Amino acid sequence: MVPNRAVASRASFPSRLLTTWLVAGFLLSLVVMASLLYGAGPVSPGDAFAALLGNGPDNAHFVVSELRGPRTMIGLVTGLALGLAGALLQSMTRNPLAEPGLLGVSAGSGFAVALAILFGASNATLTTFVAQLGALAGCALVIAATRVQGLGNDPVRLILAGATLSGLLLALTSMLMLMDQRAADEIRFWITGSIAGKPLTLLSSTLPAIAVGLLIIAMVARPLAAMALGEKAAVGLGHHPGRIRFLITLSVALLVGSATALAGPLIFVGLVVPFIARAFAGPDIRKTLWLCLPIGPAVVLGADVLSRLIAAPSELPLGVVTALIGAPVLLAIVRAGRMPSL
Amino acid sequence: MLLALTDKRTGLANGFLLLALVAASLSSMSLGTISVAPLDVLGSLLGKADPMTDFVVKELRGSRILAGLLSGAALAVAGCLMQTLARNRLATPGIIGIDNAATAFAVASVVGIGLSLAPSAMALAGAAAATSLAFGLAGANGTRGYRFIVAGIGIGAIAGAATQVMLSRVAIDAANAAYPWTVGSLNARSGHSVVILSIGLVLAAILLAIINRGLNTLQFSDAVAIALGTRLRAIRILGLGLSVLLTGLAVSVCGPVGLVALLAPELARTLCRPGKVPLLASGLAGATFMVLADLLGRTLFSPLEIPVGIITAIVGSPYLLWILLKPSNRSLT
Repeated sequence: MVPNRAVASRASFPSRLLTTWLVAGFLLSLVVMASLLYGAGPVSPGDAFAALLGNGPDNAHFVVSELRGPRTMIGLVTGLALGLAGALLQSMTRNPLAEPGLLGVSAGSGFAVALAILFGASNATLTTFVAQLGALAGCALVIAATRVQGLGNDPVRLILAGATLSGLLLALTSMLMLMDQRAADEIRFWITGSIAGKPLTLLSSTLPAIAVGLLIIAMVARPLAAMALGEKAAVGLGHHPGRIRFLITLSVALLVGSATALAGPLIFVGLVVPFIARAFAGPDIRKTLWLCLPIGPAVVLGADVLSRLIAAPSELPLGVVTALIGAPVLLAIVRAGRMPSL
Repeated sequence: MLLALTDKRTGLANGFLLLALVAASLSSMSLGTISVAPLDVLGSLLGKADPMTDFVVKELRGSRILAGLLSGAALAVAGCLMQTLARNRLATPGIIGIDNAATAFAVASVVGIGLSLAPSAMALAGAAAATSLAFGLAGANGTRGYRFIVAGIGIGAIAGAATQVMLSRVAIDAANAAYPWTVGSLNARSGHSVVILSIGLVLAAILLAIINRGLNTLQFSDAVAIALGTRLRAIRILGLGLSVLLTGLAVSVCGPVGLVALLAPELARTLCRPGKVPLLASGLAGATFMVLADLLGRTLFSPLEIPVGIITAIVGSPYLLWILLKPSNRSLT
């Protein structure tokens, strides 16, 4: 009886996943359209649509192709990177609350960028590289912390440690901002998290790192799924947990660093996206990762559209909107029954 | 309270902390952009100094130090209370989001989105709202357990985002007026809120002296506390209410100065006799921390002034991280 059911569910899973994936993809395309058509400015959705088709007034054409187009693309890439990074980190630490933003990875990245700006950096590639280095340092700290006896199985302590680290780095960043007015203006623009007004060159400078991150994910997805059975089982299946952990750390750092370089520190995206994906995909990390591909960009772009419409004609910082969406999800995870675990 | 005074070790600890507080206040009065010799400070306090020194010591620094002292004491006592009630040394108002919510409400009143209530009242309302929300979300577990803390982190994040929304929507002048609250600074205090805070502190001191014995029994298990004749429910509600009151009033003076509520009770517990709740020592330690942090912020990069909230975060975070990451730590949660 039991084996039969297992076989049946295995047979039906791919098609169910495909349906979910298609629905998510459809939703994503809707969000992309909304992101191109709606804005805080005076260009009406109708004009923007006409501009998309190649006619329509000049200002609409400019807004769509020069402002909203790049913004949408940057939002897509940021959401993709953050969603995947969150899913990876949660699977590896076996902790559904392990989110790069909450654990201080984004703050590490942000602090590194603030330091770089203070020392006179403004070159886009340098910022990207620095953000990735900062994220790598943050990631290494998190992994080291999870290896501390007892902390790995205690989600709350880990989150609290992350929040403390973020607070410390934020305080240091504020101090840097007090030191130098020019740097302060640049950092303040960057630190609240926004995908508006970023040049497309920034995107192209982060793409190699994101590609490497995706490649690593493709390599480690299977061993990672084996590790969900326990380290001994993974070793028994011929995998090397230490090596996998190192590769995932690298991948998370590359993804979060790139996303932070693009959009500034956005917390809670890496929590919300895998949370939704897991609800549909179940415990298999590979299915979760597949579903994160459309859901991540949809969440970030959806939040961005909201950020334009809530306070029109002005805009809210994207980081504020993601926090307002993500914190209730955090509360929901904590509220749901017993101690959360993966 | 009387028992605490007759105990030798606690008495010594309190005496030491009081001495440290006086020393910190005096040096804070003498150091700064204009240095005043310590003797001149004493002279001014005794009422025989030239008007210039008098102005610097009393008007500029004295009122600032008084505000820091009172708010530091209030934050620390509130932290100590909540730690005792939750039986968890991590459960301080800052960590569970009460600071941030109080800040959000105070900012709302400053930028004129809320009713035109005084910041003190609004901060109090924010603190109360956050606490009841944390309790509601934590369910039957009350202050005990992990949910309380994670719920608090979420509430803190929402409140922080709400503060940013308000600051980004108002005119730049109003935003600048509200900014000090968001980082924690003694620059933005209004004399009015300091007066309200001191009234709150006196009230809290009286009530705490009355329930002191019951609080001490809370360190045992519920069963033992009840057997010792403690009215658990009443003490919990009163203690939590006082904690919220002190936090809200302190935030209305100095903004969300983090980690004083965590560090000061830790120090007090180390110094005092174990087995008692060191409320008085916590208050003294908190006041000393606050005055010292403000002194550091004013003089470290003079003439640049670092807000006191940033100093306490930089000094306190490593200690909190150390508590959290220390292996085999059984006294948590």
